[in-house]
Amino acid sequence: MKDPAMKLTQEERDILEGNQGLILQKVMRTLILYGEALSAEKFVDIEGPGHFSIPFALPGVGPRLEMLDELAEAGLKTKYPFTLDPKAPLDFENLFLRREQEQAFDEMFRNQGPYDRRMLQLGLRDEDAYTCTPYLPEVGNIAPKGTILAWSESSCVVYANSVLGARTNRNAAIMDILSNIAGKTPLAGLLTDQGRRATWRVEVDTSQMPNPQLLGAAIGMKVLEDVPYVVGLDRFLDTEINETTRDYLKEMGAACAAIGAVGLYHVEHITPEAIDHGANLLRHGHRNYHIDDEELRSLMDSYPVMWTEKGAKPEKCLIGCPHLSLRELKWWACQIPAALEAHHKDRLAVDTVLCAAPQVLQEFKAEEQGYERLRSAGVKLSGTCPEAYMDNQLCARDAVITNSNKLRAFTTARMFLDEDLLEVIVTGEI
Amino acid sequence: MSRVFKGRAILPRNLEGEALVTHSGFNTLASFYKSMLTEAEVAICHDQGNKELFGKQLTDKIICLPKTIGSTSAGATLDRVAQLGIAPKAMLFSQHIDSLGAAGLVLAEVWVGMRICTIDQLGDDFLEYVKDGHRIVAKEDGTVVVE
Repeated sequence: MKDPAMKLTQEERDILEGNQGLILQKVMRTLILYGEALSAEKFVDIEGPGHFSIPFALPGVGPRLEMLDELAEAGLKTKYPFTLDPKAPLDFENLFLRREQEQAFDEMFRNQGPYDRRMLQLGLRDEDAYTCTPYLPEVGNIAPKGTILAWSESSCVVYANSVLGARTNRNAAIMDILSNIAGKTPLAGLLTDQGRRATWRVEVDTSQMPNPQLLGAAIGMKVLEDVPYVVGLDRFLDTEINETTRDYLKEMGAACAAIGAVGLYHVEHITPEAIDHGANLLRHGHRNYHIDDEELRSLMDSYPVMWTEKGAKPEKCLIGCPHLSLRELKWWACQIPAALEAHHKDRLAVDTVLCAAPQVLQEFKAEEQGYERLRSAGVKLSGTCPEAYMDNQLCARDAVITNSNKLRAFTTARMFLDEDLLEVIVTGEI
Repeated sequence: MSRVFKGRAILPRNLEGEALVTHSGFNTLASFYKSMLTEAEVAICHDQGNKELFGKQLTDKIICLPKTIGSTSAGATLDRVAQLGIAPKAMLFSQHIDSLGAAGLVLAEVWVGMRICTIDQLGDDFLEYVKDGHRIVAKEDGTVVVE
């Protein structure tokens, strides 16, 4: 390898020269090429646990097991224990699957066992550390403000940067693991003060609190990978980040990140850096985007029905992309029975799965009352990923409904706002 | 008539090939997904969201793009594509390379041992000028000649 353009510490040079083993040398070589491509001048040390986006080994698509084998056999491990995105849809008892779908998943995820074992060897925190909401208190991967991280999974990156005030770039899968093994990440982009300044001022001028995933989609489509500074949401949200505000920002961020490529947003008077620096975060010459009721209504109306049979009756409802918080699970556990009662019904007309982190589900189930209400309504709870469930031809043909704009964007699922979705799952009619 | 553009050589190579152009972001995972899943001998773009590339051959082409887009899981795509022997010859970015694109190309280089020639910052003019089927000569110093 030619002399690196990046400024390396003695420790980094030692690794590059192979003094800490050939595989770690290969890891460092990868990170240097990656850092140089990003125009980074140096590395910074990673200061907290990772979160990574590939939790399963889909043959042909997932990470190459040979590469993970090389890392694990060299005895390498991440500096801090990490969490992973949700598990593959293999908890068949919770997913209302047809036999051929079960067979397809068994085949697709046939390498899951070895993959899970490799991840534990490489530093996975524990066997339940699978969720796209690792930052919830029940899961506990919560970095303090200012912590340098190297995360992937777009919805987690945007939450860590925006709501926790930690600093991570939008890393690609595998580069995330390699960075966390070396404990180094290139100083570039969202790790720098300049990279965290906003190039868009987004004014939310709606008559009531907008649906967070619709608002996030509008912002993401407009600003793409830029940093927006959002004003006007403090009319609807508490300025302290309590559970309601946290969940709103979680949903908004997931849509910003999935439908655009936003890695960081600031919300005036709410998110930590907006509280510290206010409108000074806006760069000179920033652009403006005004969002009103009509803007969001026309966005919602623009979504096409992607079902094979456009007029089909809904067959399945997936809620929890990103994974639900405990507060959100309790909300559905109140709303679903109330909607059933209003229609003089006992059970939902549409097979419905609520997805959340294993730790959140465990806590929810321990509180028995809400869990029993959902069970008797016919609802199933799962720790899997709705997107992974839909990402195959067999399931993509099903008439699936959701409240997730992210799931809608990446799959054939049809999106409804929460209140409308409730009506559909109770009646089975659209 | 030919035009010369100068960019930054990230993974340099001297080579020639045929241009395949997208003016919107190149979604690496969506583009290669089906070809990887079926272990196809030649990759065809299956990204329905990219009207310019959908249905066209990607293998051995010189992809001219602004940057890559899509899921962070796309990082594991290009090294897999390289391993399967269905990679493009080169990726020529008009803008500064993005983190997802950089990751995939570097992983292919170091962990598969296959260099996909990578040049970035070729400028908007480059992407406006180059068309599908143009003959391209890429040089190690980041020079790109479109013939």
